[in-house]
Parts: sequence; C-alpha cells; structure tokens
Amino acid sequence: MAELEGGKQPSSPARNISARTQLVAVAWLRWRILVNSTFRRRSTGAGRAAGLATAILVRIVVWPILALMVIGPVAGSGFMAWAAIANNHPQRLASLLAGIMLLWLFVSVNGQNAAAALSSFDPSSLIRFPLRFGRYLILRTFIGLLTPSTIVGCMALAAAAIGIVVADAGLALPAFVVLAVYAWTNIFLMRMIGAWFERWLANRRFREIFTALMALSAVGFQFLNYERAPMHAYGGRASLILNLMRGSGAELGWSPPGFAAHAILERAHPFEAVLNLAALAATTALFAAVFAVRLHKQFLGEYLSDSPVVRAKAGAGHRKRPNSRPAGSVAASLPQRAVGPGFAPVVTACLHKEWLTLRGNGAQFVSMLTPLFFVVILNRTTFAGHSTYFLPGAIAYVVFGALAGLYNVFGADGLGVQIYLLAPIRLRDVIVAKNLMSLTLIAGEAGLAWALVSTLAPAPIAVAAQVSTGLWTIFVIAANLALGTVRSIQAPRRFVPGQAQRRRTTPTNRTSGLLILLVLFGSMALQVPVTLASRYLNEPWLGAWIFGPLAAAAVTAYGLLLRNAEQFIMAHRDVLGEELCRV
Amino acid sequence: MTTPAIDTTALTRRFGNFTAVQDVNLRVEAGQFFGFLGPNGAGKSTTIKMLTGLLAPTSGTIHILGEDIKENSAEVKRQVGVVPEGMALFGRLTGEEYLRFVGRMYGLDRATTEQRTQELLEFMHLADERKKLITDYSHGMQKKLALAAAVIHGPRVLFLDEPFEGVDAVAAGTLKAMLQRMIARGATIFLTSHVLEIVERLCSHVAIIHRGQLVAQGSLAELQAGAGRRKRGDREEENAAESEQKRSLEEIFLEIVGTDREGNPAATRPEQELSWLS
Repeated sequence: MAELEGGKQPSSPARNISARTQLVAVAWLRWRILVNSTFRRRSTGAGRAAGLATAILVRIVVWPILALMVIGPVAGSGFMAWAAIANNHPQRLASLLAGIMLLWLFVSVNGQNAAAALSSFDPSSLIRFPLRFGRYLILRTFIGLLTPSTIVGCMALAAAAIGIVVADAGLALPAFVVLAVYAWTNIFLMRMIGAWFERWLANRRFREIFTALMALSAVGFQFLNYERAPMHAYGGRASLILNLMRGSGAELGWSPPGFAAHAILERAHPFEAVLNLAALAATTALFAAVFAVRLHKQFLGEYLSDSPVVRAKAGAGHRKRPNSRPAGSVAASLPQRAVGPGFAPVVTACLHKEWLTLRGNGAQFVSMLTPLFFVVILNRTTFAGHSTYFLPGAIAYVVFGALAGLYNVFGADGLGVQIYLLAPIRLRDVIVAKNLMSLTLIAGEAGLAWALVSTLAPAPIAVAAQVSTGLWTIFVIAANLALGTVRSIQAPRRFVPGQAQRRRTTPTNRTSGLLILLVLFGSMALQVPVTLASRYLNEPWLGAWIFGPLAAAAVTAYGLLLRNAEQFIMAHRDVLGEELCRV
Repeated sequence: MTTPAIDTTALTRRFGNFTAVQDVNLRVEAGQFFGFLGPNGAGKSTTIKMLTGLLAPTSGTIHILGEDIKENSAEVKRQVGVVPEGMALFGRLTGEEYLRFVGRMYGLDRATTEQRTQELLEFMHLADERKKLITDYSHGMQKKLALAAAVIHGPRVLFLDEPFEGVDAVAAGTLKAMLQRMIARGATIFLTSHVLEIVERLCSHVAIIHRGQLVAQGSLAELQAGAGRRKRGDREEENAAESEQKRSLEEIFLEIVGTDREGNPAATRPEQELSWLS
C-alpha cells in the first residue's frame, strides 16, 4: 500500500483562491464531461467498430434534423426582420423579438426538463467548494451558456440584426447594440426561470405535470394553427405567427421586445431611443437580480431541504400490520403454476405491478394520448379526404413510441429486476405479463386511432384497405414483440430511441440498438411500397396477400420464442445480472 | 483555552413544520476523532450538511476552527473536507480527472494537484483504473475516490458520512490507518456510521442525536459511566455490579435511543415477532 507523502504534514491550499483558477477548473470539468460522454466507450475491437458505425449513422440522421431546427428559426428571423423594415412595417419588429423570446423560452425549458431526466451535471453541487457567492453567481451565469436555447436564440437575434441592416444600413449600430443587450435580457430571463425550474423539476410529479402542459400546449398550438389558418385558405397558408405579427406590435410597447424594437427604430427621436434602451437594460438588471436572489437561496442549501419534509410526510401515515401466518404455511405461499382459470399467480402479480407502475406515471399517459390528438388534427387538415392512406400512417404514428417498450422488458425495472432473478419463479411468466401489458396498451392505442380515423373519414374506408392495415398492424406488433423479447434477454439494458448513443451501454446493446431502429422503422415503412404497388397495380388486396403471411410468420416466431423462452433466459442469466444488477 | 474545531450553539433546522435538528450544542476539540451517532432519520446528515456549509441553519450558530460559517463559509469550506452521504461525484469523469478538478477548485497549484492525484490514486488502489469512468466504478471504489477527493487539499477538519459503507475489509483497514495518522498530525475527524464497532474502535469522543436532539455527548468513558448511572437508577441494586462493567457502545446506544415515542423499548417483543418466519 502506498503512503501519502511519508510522514509529512500536508500543505494547506492557497488562502485566496483566484477566480480564474476556479473558473478554468469548472470550464475544464464541463469539457471533460462532454468529451467523455461523446467519445469514451468501454468496448474494444469489433464492439468498438460497431459502436462507431452506429454513432456515425445516428449522427447522419440526427444532425441534419437538428441543423434544420436551428437554421429554420434563424433564417426566418433574418427574413422577417428584413421584411418588417423593408416593407415599412416597423411595428412587426417587436412581435418578431417577442417570438424569438418565446422560442428561446420553449427550447430552454424543454431542454432543462430533458436534462433533468437524464441527470446531467448539476451546477448547484458546486456549493460544496470554497466559493464566495459572487463567484458562484458568475459560474452559474456562464455554465450552460452553450445550451441549444442560447445558441438558437443568439443566432436568431444576430440574423434579425443582419436582416435589419440589409433593409436599412443606417440602423446597423442600434440594431447590433440593442439586440446584444436584448440577448442578455433573454439569457437572464431564462436563467431566472431556469433557477425556479431546477427546484421544481426535482419533483417527479411536477416533471409529469410539466410534460403534460407542454404536450397540451404543442397540441393546442397546432390545433389553433390549423383551425385559424386552414391550408386551403386563399393566397396560401398564413400561419398563426404571421397573424400575430400583423397586429400585436402596439401591445408589446411596455415589454422588453417593445423596448428593444423602439430603441432600434426611434432614429428620429434619439432621446426616446436611449430611454427605451435604458428600460431594456433595467429589465435585464431586474431579471439578473431576481436570478441572483434565487441563487443565493440555493447557495445557502435550499435544495437540500426537500428530503426531510418528504420523509416526515411519508412517516405520518399508519401502516396496518398484515396478518401473520404460522411458519408451517410457508410452502403454501410459494407460487403455484396455476390457480384455476386465468393467469398463473406470477403473471397476475406482475400484471398488477405493471398497472401500479403505469398508474403512477403521468408522463407515460401523456405520451400515449398526445399522438391521438395529432391524429385528429391531421385527419381534419393535411390528410382530410385521404383516410384510406392515412389509416396505417395514423396507427404507425400512435404505436411507435409504445413499441419501444417491447424492447425494455427488464430494462425499465432497472435494479428492481433482481427480484425476478432471486424469486423462485419462471422468468417466462414475467415476460408474458409484461408483454401482455404492452400489448394491451398498444392494441388500445391502435384501436383508438383506427376508430378516430374511421369516424372522421368523409366516406367509409375500403374493406381491402382495412384488412391490409389490420394484418400489417399484427405483423408490426408481433415482429417487434418477438425481436423485443429476444433483445430484452440478450441485451437487457433500457433502450430509448434517440438516446442510444448518450447512455452508458455495451457493444451488444449498441449493435442491437441499431437493429432495433432498423426493425422499428423497416416494419412500419414496409406499408409504403406495398400501398404504392397496390395502387399502381390496381390490386386493393395486395396488402392483405403480403401482410397476411408476414403476420402469421411473426406470430409463429413469437409463439416459438415463448415456448423456448425459459432455456433462452437461462442461457443469458449472467447477462441479466451483469447488465442490470450493477450498483 | 484552545479554539474548538467544531462549536455549535442551539443549532436548529426546520423544514416547514418538521424540525429535523433542534437546539444542538456540539463541541469537538481539535485533534479529536469524533463519532456522531443516531438512528435513521435522527438528523445526522442534516447536521453534517449544516456543519459543512451545504445547508443554512434556521437558527443557532456554527463555528469551525473559530470561523463563523455564516460569515465566512468560503474560508470554512477551504479548511474542511467532506465525504457526503451521496458522495457527489461526477460520473462522466475518470477518477484521475475528478481529483484534478477538485484539487484545482481548492486552489492547489497544478504541480501539487498532479502529485497528490497520483499519490491518492495509488494509495486508494485506483491507479489501475485510470481510464474508467466513475459511473463504471463499483460502490466501494466510488467511496474511496470520494474520500481521496475529500483529503486532496489537506483539510484540518474532515467530515465523513458513512465512509466505510461498501468498502472491502482490506481497503477499510488502510483507510482507518490513514485517518488515524491524520489525527496524529492534528486533524479533526467527524464521522457518522451505523457500524458501532467502527466508531468504538476509532473514536475517542461520541455524540448521539435522537429525533433531532442531542441526547448524549462526551468521551467514550464518560458515556459508559453515564450509562452505568442511568442503569443503577432504573433497576434493582443487584444489577449495579453488572452495570459497573465496561459496556459496549452498542449497549449504550440502544439504552439511550432504543425507546419509542412513549418511552417503551423499541425492540420488538417476542409476541410481536414474525411468527411465520422459520
């Protein structure tokens, strides 16, 4: 065993720790976390190559989508700012700046919610180091500046400034100066809101309510957008954003977007321009002050005050002591293979547990219900009159998220899976129970989507199309069920579509993750060429002929898998323990 | 009279209507190995959080090495090391990267940070796992790393919340030896553990907190004598001889905190036992 500096007394750290040292240390920490999260993998050899290939493929798919999500608002801001000035509608500038603020807020709040769920670096943990509050405030202000919301927001404002200058070069100085101040207004506003959210998001129930509100607002926005500005309106589609921009400029006069717009545009009245800039700066200072007050409470350890309250409340209730049973009846309490008609006790117990888990998971309910709202919206607008083609699309859309659950038979339980390995039960029964619950949910969602599309269809959907869709649905569900069960046993760690590369994972998991995505998308996308071919050949029953055998094969494969599940599980028992039982 | 390492006066912390810690007056002299005991939910972790500046008290004062923590929390934090309840490690760093970060945050220069990082990794037997992320460490390895991070800046007062939990026997022996050498060099260690044998073996002084209130404080010998006196008062004279014998910390602890809210023994009576257990 090594010795620490022999018998020497350790020297104390510097009495005055420089701000630069600590700021650089935190910046380095963030950098290493980013590097390690992005590039470091535990695998070697073939596993590493497979992981790298998966990473590249995922980036090829994801990055262009992310780029579009950034480029869209940025280009739009630049264009709208130019249009407002060039077309002599300066009042629209305030509306545009308000829109950028809302976009910033939406991305910021949602990013924070996602980050809380992924439990990333928690900057409030820095309070244990020897920092004074001022330095902590600076650190908290600068940590996380490179977030998607700040990047998108700042780029949108820069684009707006460029748009203004292109339209009127004389506004260059006020545009860039004022919008730089306005960027800080937004940064401190988001930080202020974020500081409150950090506290609230620590509560699971709040996260669920928040997710529901966000989903509702997204659905509501889409609904309003379509209802108020239908696609078939004369002169093309005027979106809700443009409608708002036409008339809301005056109401924004006493808000930060209004201050910023007037500070830029009041060229003829310099005093008013300066006054508006001062008002904008004062608002920024106000946001910064409220953020600082909030952080000071955190600095004093406010975050740590949650658990004892919860514990006190939890301990307040009285528990009823269960009836005792004599020792002799222990054998009778062991699980039986079957108790009369119905499911085996293990299956019933697991189903009950799954129901309890689902009942307490509001976010899952929201994620199941939200697509159904979109089905209604799309059915009334984009796909109105095309229900025959929309039916499979709607079903694919609503069940896609739920299908991912089929690949998480054990993964969703995390460490709790140990009880299945320790108890004297057949793991096949656990799989059956979990699959039953998943099937019920998927079938319920698919049935609802089917009913919605059929009800809202202007004319009855052709029988051939319905049969084809039904067989295709059975094929998709059974194929994913079979593969999901195999995957859950072979690589049981939780699979989340879109996050496969960010989570701690093994080569098997990564390889199977790619396979899952291919099967998920592939089995669903198969509907497209079959539908096109059916239409081209004028053969409405083609889909039924193709998907019938495929559905039968998938159902048979799942049946065979269940029959041999126990041996398969025993062969992979070590993997289950290694992947899921590590503390 | 020397300045105590830890000195609290009427320390109280409330969470809404719930009082987690009430009127705690602690005094830990410099150089003491101090054990802080209590049942689950007694207020140990809340007290440690207040003593280390992670949680503001509702009322009362805290002085660490003579510094008022409220007035100068940064200076206090500079002088203390902490292995907190949840270890508070950054899972996406390697152990080496984490120690470098902590060293820099405590103001150590690069050379000293690097030297101590290497020494600590060797000492804790973590040097062979340099490339491994902390998230992939075992629980015991994480405990050792948290302890290494707590001492890298050479703290004068060390707060340890269950430091040996999940640590293997060999490593635990090494860590205990290291802690005792720190005491010999003048450091003060404030330790909580549910393993009373460890506290009894390492600590010279002990305090017991129960339902947020300090119910006993003193050297082990004083506690043993106090327990003996209580026993004589409670029982018949014939038990007196027995109570004079040296009693274990576990017996003292159970005698002090082993009652429910009505004052009855908390241990389950035979008729209340789970009779169906074989």
